[in-house]
Amino acid sequence: MTRLIRPTLLTLTLLTTAAAQDAQTVRLGFFPNLTHAPALVGLERGTFQKALSQVGSGKVKLDAKEFVSGTTLTEAFAAGQIDIAYVGPGPAINAAGRGMPVQFLAGASEAGAVLVVRKDSGIKSYKDLAGKIVAVPSLGNTQDISLRHILNENSLKPRADGGNVTITPIAPADVLAAFAAKRVDATLVPEPWGAALEAQGHKVIGSEKTVWRDGKYPTTVVIVNAKFAQANPQIVTAFLKAHTDAVAFINKSPVAAQTAVNNQLLKATGTKLDPRVLQRAFARTRFTTSLDLAALTEYAKLNVEAGYARSAPDLAPFIRK
Amino acid sequence: MTALSPDMQPTRAARGQSHWQTLVTQLVGLIVILGAWWLVTDVLKLYPPYVFPGPKAVWTEISYGLWGTGPQDGKLLSAIGGSLRRVLTGYVIAVLLGVVVGLLMGAWRPLRTTLGAYLTGIQSVPSIAFVPFAILFLGLNERAVLFVVILEGFIPVALAVSGALLNVPPALRVAGRTLGAGSLGLMLRVLLPASVPSILTGLRTAWSFSWRALVGGELLIAGAASLGEQLEIGRNTANVALVLATIIIIGVIGGLFDSLLRAAEGRVRRDYGLEVPQ
Repeated sequence: MTRLIRPTLLTLTLLTTAAAQDAQTVRLGFFPNLTHAPALVGLERGTFQKALSQVGSGKVKLDAKEFVSGTTLTEAFAAGQIDIAYVGPGPAINAAGRGMPVQFLAGASEAGAVLVVRKDSGIKSYKDLAGKIVAVPSLGNTQDISLRHILNENSLKPRADGGNVTITPIAPADVLAAFAAKRVDATLVPEPWGAALEAQGHKVIGSEKTVWRDGKYPTTVVIVNAKFAQANPQIVTAFLKAHTDAVAFINKSPVAAQTAVNNQLLKATGTKLDPRVLQRAFARTRFTTSLDLAALTEYAKLNVEAGYARSAPDLAPFIRK
Repeated sequence: MTALSPDMQPTRAARGQSHWQTLVTQLVGLIVILGAWWLVTDVLKLYPPYVFPGPKAVWTEISYGLWGTGPQDGKLLSAIGGSLRRVLTGYVIAVLLGVVVGLLMGAWRPLRTTLGAYLTGIQSVPSIAFVPFAILFLGLNERAVLFVVILEGFIPVALAVSGALLNVPPALRVAGRTLGAGSLGLMLRVLLPASVPSILTGLRTAWSFSWRALVGGELLIAGAASLGEQLEIGRNTANVALVLATIIIIGVIGGLFDSLLRAAEGRVRRDYGLEVPQ
């Protein structure tokens, strides 16, 4: 019995002390999307590393990990492999609802998700999505939850729930290829992939404003592992300052920010976008550090509506004061 | 063929008793497993519930998913329906295809030495490896899932059928010929019936291959209600309890079908005198 318990206890100790043990390294998760621009700009300009090197003995390192979509990051977060993350509100709310040590640190971007249809799909309005295949970054992610809400409002249903709209998960960067191969008819994607599709002649039928709440919805938030935050308050403060700086830079120098984003996109996806595409995508996204609790709470309700949770958690305790 | 002397058959009572013993042992085993699980998760709390939930949380997912009446409940039930429909369609096609290909391979040596060898090779490729090809070839739809299910299911049937034909005692062939059977008659009335026990073994293997291929395919090709989609949703919404609930359901269904086929196989083997009942 001891032989069985010892390794288990060891694993447990590793799990619970992961936060404190790695105090000298901040493991950051993000995705290569424009809605994560503060992360991309901060990485490109060294903003995070600079702020972190001013903490304590100056030995705090940044380890940035790139994820394909919102929900896979939650797994890494649950496994204690990520300390701070840029993530959509959908996965963050799910993580909070399941009792993960999540703390909402700040907002990052609002709006910036569009519904694009393939040029020869014959779809003109939301109603025409009936019988079509619609791609989202992943099941249960922020855009998936929004899409299910749009369907619900237009008396449509996903096929898995007995309706006729097929929702399929495809990484945003791969949606261009899926459109070209006619494998999907439409997609609800975060920018810049909407603008990139548009540049190839596909049509935006749901702008960031008509998707939900007149565009006043969070698309990306910054979360931190609550245990990590408790053990490393200085690091979290420094990171938050760097995040605020990155957002301010984006709003002050959008052109330089677009170049920075493009460089990071090239590194992450091997695709560099036309500056005009990025400019258009930027125009549809707002960058902010503020967190709108009311919007987040409504999102939690949409998450229930989409069938991903049975109840909406009270999010107020999860927000860092 | 059932020429066993009566004293070799265990009495009905003895057989019944051993069935009961097995059932009781299995039940005790289940209780021990559930107890250990409950001890690790709910009593000792060795893992946080979002990493390894306890049996109660998993049971909640199963009960809501199977007979819950809320607007978002019953999803596991419709997933089971979708998956079963898909796997049974694929399995039936796979078996028919497998029997035809197997008969051809059994009858014609060049086909056996070429296709037979390749099929053995293909069988060693994990079904999930075919999914990307299936998606590109057939699109992001059910046909891609069916493709993988059929591919995985038909190979063991084809190999079992052709193997069984080769193992039919030559005396039966001679007897068939002597009694005036033509090539087709010999095949359908002598060789095929004589191969039934081996074919049934192939059918059982085909079932487990198809079932595993189905869940693998559904995991990547979401869209319709399916067990694969439930796994993916559980994973994506940090709902480990749903993931475990789905795994349990996949295992139970797979096991149920397997034991049905095993029972049929055992019965046929007894009828053919291939097995002396204990």
